Amino acid sequence: MTTDPTSETLAELGATSPEAVREKFAVLQARFDADIARRGSDADEQPALAAEWTGRKAGALTRIAEHWLRPAPAELKRVVGQEFQKLKAHVESVLEQKRAELDARAEAASAALDRIDLSLPGVERRVGTRHLVRQTFDELIGIFLSIGFSVVEGPEIETPYYNFEALGIPEHHPARDNMDTFYIDGSRGNHLLRTHTSPMQIRTMEKQPPPVRIVVPGKVYRRDNPDATHGYMFHQIEGLAVDTDITFCDFKGTVEYFVREFLGPKARTRLRPSYFPFTEPSAEVDASCHVCGGSGCRICKFSGWIELFGAGMVNPAVYGFVNYDAEKLSGFAFGMGVDRLAMMKHGITELPLLFGNDVRFLRQFP
Amino acid sequence: MRILYNWLEEFVDFQAPPAELRTRLSLAGIAIDSIEDSTAGPVLDAEVTANRPDCLGHYGLAREVAAIYRRPMKPLQPKLLESADKAADATRVEIESPDLCGRYTARVLIGVRVQPSPDWLRQRLEAIGQNSINNVVDISNYVMFELGHPLHAFDLDRLAEKRIVVRRARPGERMRTLDGVERTLGPDMCVIADASRAVAIGGVLGGAESEIGFASRNLLIESAWFDPISVRRTSKALGLRTEASYRFERGADPEMAELASRRAAELIQQLAGGQLLAGVVDVYPRREVGPAIELSRKELLRVIGDDIPDREIEEILSALGFHPVRKDTHRGSAGSILAVWECRQPSWRRDVTRGIDLIEEVARHYGYEKFPSRLPAARQPAKRLPHTGALDLLGQRLIALGYQEIVTIPLVDRRRDEIFRSPGAVPAVIGNPLAEDASVMRSSGVVSMVAALEWNLNHGQRNLRLFEMGKTYELRKGEPLETPVLTLGATGLAREKSLYETSRQFGFADLKGDLDGIGRLAGGRWRWGAMTKSWLNPARAGEIGIPDPSTASSSCRPIGVAGELARKIADQLKLRQEIFLAELRLEPLLEAVREAGVLRKFEPLPRFPAVERDFSLVLADGVTFTQVVDAVCALGIPELRSIEAADLFRGGQIPSGKFSLMIRVAFQSAEATLTDRQIAEYSSQILGALERELGATLRAS
Repeated sequence: MTTDPTSETLAELGATSPEAVREKFAVLQARFDADIARRGSDADEQPALAAEWTGRKAGALTRIAEHWLRPAPAELKRVVGQEFQKLKAHVESVLEQKRAELDARAEAASAALDRIDLSLPGVERRVGTRHLVRQTFDELIGIFLSIGFSVVEGPEIETPYYNFEALGIPEHHPARDNMDTFYIDGSRGNHLLRTHTSPMQIRTMEKQPPPVRIVVPGKVYRRDNPDATHGYMFHQIEGLAVDTDITFCDFKGTVEYFVREFLGPKARTRLRPSYFPFTEPSAEVDASCHVCGGSGCRICKFSGWIELFGAGMVNPAVYGFVNYDAEKLSGFAFGMGVDRLAMMKHGITELPLLFGNDVRFLRQFP
Repeated sequence: MRILYNWLEEFVDFQAPPAELRTRLSLAGIAIDSIEDSTAGPVLDAEVTANRPDCLGHYGLAREVAAIYRRPMKPLQPKLLESADKAADATRVEIESPDLCGRYTARVLIGVRVQPSPDWLRQRLEAIGQNSINNVVDISNYVMFELGHPLHAFDLDRLAEKRIVVRRARPGERMRTLDGVERTLGPDMCVIADASRAVAIGGVLGGAESEIGFASRNLLIESAWFDPISVRRTSKALGLRTEASYRFERGADPEMAELASRRAAELIQQLAGGQLLAGVVDVYPRREVGPAIELSRKELLRVIGDDIPDREIEEILSALGFHPVRKDTHRGSAGSILAVWECRQPSWRRDVTRGIDLIEEVARHYGYEKFPSRLPAARQPAKRLPHTGALDLLGQRLIALGYQEIVTIPLVDRRRDEIFRSPGAVPAVIGNPLAEDASVMRSSGVVSMVAALEWNLNHGQRNLRLFEMGKTYELRKGEPLETPVLTLGATGLAREKSLYETSRQFGFADLKGDLDGIGRLAGGRWRWGAMTKSWLNPARAGEIGIPDPSTASSSCRPIGVAGELARKIADQLKLRQEIFLAELRLEPLLEAVREAGVLRKFEPLPRFPAVERDFSLVLADGVTFTQVVDAVCALGIPELRSIEAADLFRGGQIPSGKFSLMIRVAFQSAEATLTDRQIAEYSSQILGALERELGATLRAS
């Protein structure tokens, strides 16, 4: 075994000319290459090899810098420096390359062993869900906000005046047939549970001068015996637009816009004359059947149309109750059953499911 | 109402197949739900709106059909064979209460043969859902469904003194009606009486005593007009809805009364023979002439936003019986914007009194589909509800924390509600509930939450985290008060067992952590305090307060409670799992969330490392973490960043009456890296303060 040349200075080694210096470096590089060839591809040996050459304290490169470079005489400094940098670059790049090769080999080897079963479940953090009715409200409100309707809310426990009288439904009016009402015991104003969101039409117009453009989301109550499509409570969204220039054509355009936004661009709208005490002319808004597309099926009773909600131009009599000038103002109003719209859209046939809050139901609408 | 296609054809030649008629009627405002076949031909199921009593008969509906197809109505002229004797000599009619009965007509037939109806009559009635009884009763029904006007036939021989008195019922007066029920009448009810007693409830139902049977020979045909409100009140009070009351309460046509009587007499003569006494006894105290109503094009344009040609307007109004006449000075100039038509209200359309009513008539027959669509001009910004942003944020945060939103019906069981009601609160009780389990508006959100948890537990769903944003209801001095609340409910496992993790029970700390997560949205300034609620386990319940913005001091205003459902109530409700509940008032919470969002300011990220020190303290039972924190904070160390509870235990080497709490204190300076000497100095200050203030000692490790 020859002695380690890097523990002696170049002078001690007798290299006093540039040629001799280059030769010494060439010998070292050959030795490195031989080492690499012998041990460089062995995963166990490679770290030791790297330490021997590039170790910070006692590696060959450190020793060369110490023994060859530092004490080199001025006339040789440049050539020693150059040769040193060349050798260092060579050593580092070869070692890096070898390490990468080994890493790649190791990973390939372990991948075969550690490969995960992709079909196993991950760790799913269980997040909650927004209730379908609230999702539907969000959607409806979003549609109406986009065409300038503000959102207001009102009390659920109402007075007969706002729920009925001011909407043109005095006591003994046959329209009350469809609005069987719960009354509150012991209230001062003979209060009742509102049967629709329409009282907010009156409350809003009482409070603010025209123009008015609002939607009113909320709970409403009917004294109906519960069945698949009726309960004591359901949700409505009321709409009201009043201004000096609102016409039936604006009303029609608004409901058509709504139907296309809610049911898709292919949905068609039909206005069918109807009757509500607080609108005139009144209409039922029908949409082309979302199941058959209008050709007729069981869901639409073979008519091709599904009734969505009631609406109409505000009956001028209503303006009388809120001190609006019926001769200058006009407007339209609508009232939609929100649960019904949600049920229709998602094929739900039982209203009680919406308020039973079975988490298996809730989870279906994440 | 069920409509026979063939019957309509008797009044107008419209020549359209039933399916087309269905669509056209629907688009004119008479919704047809379905078409069925019957032995008497196709039957259309019509939904007639409350304002159109004139369409509660085939003749009235035929008028709509005539207007739709612009075809003339065939005249209705019953042919009668009258005897020389006069009806007026055979009976007498008096109306004592004209406010309840505006017209009463009577015709008399002598010697009729009451017998089963012929097939055609029976089939027609059966097709529209009516049972056949005998020819006379069937005819009165038939005429009602034909002309929309209810009639009644009395057995003349059973009327005392063969006369009719229309009056209010006497107090406590009793009568047996046709359905066999003995009824007590009230003084607001209109009765048809003979000389001695009530024989029918006007406009509602006849009496059993004067009923037509197969032995009846002599008849009195009543065709009258009763006041709609009176009929509605009476029928409601008696719980008696009949085809007659249905029509009268919507408003029958007083002019039709006489024609309907004539039509009935014609049919009785044809099918039951007999002699019709001459003339009609007609008492008509409330004859009214329909008012004139104007329709102007200006108003039409203002409301509809589109024009309708003169000819269409005139044809439609004429077909519907309004006799339109141009009255403006621009007669002759077609399409004039100044055009005004004067119309006459026909007796069958009392619902039409104003120009807007005529506009509706014209528009629906012209066709809503012909008007163009526009969107109205927007002149104001659209505004969301004041706290929408905060509400959405809160909802999203709860969903992210794993809570599922529920929506419940606020009508709840009275006894259940009581369990969770604050002492002294007056509930909003339903005066006319349909069921005991929906007899009060809830006083808390918790009552609904517990029901939702219960439902799910009973359906095999054991690990639940639910929330609701709803309202509570109560009466304050007789006035209703609705308070928005956020309610949380949780039970079962906080973490379910999986391939990678073990399971863990949901506990009070989970609830508190979730609520503190919400609290961070509200500025992280809320405080927990002790309180008791009868329905919460006193050892695991707390009150949440937020700083009161109205006072500068550090006083807190309570906004809610949280805790574990008391065992005795859980047992009562048969809930075996531990149930965790929280309820917070939404308004102050949303206000705090909104305010926190406004006030939130950026804090520079620290440039120097934080240093942590742990202190294992031994404290006397009853000392709280907050006291420890306050004692440390009181030192006013500027580099103090945080104090966390890192470990907590009792027993072992810790003597009873004491417990061990490890706190982890972090120090950090914005200016420099802290030196070991500074940290040591702070540590000894902290220990000194804890020892002095709380008697804490360091646990020997």
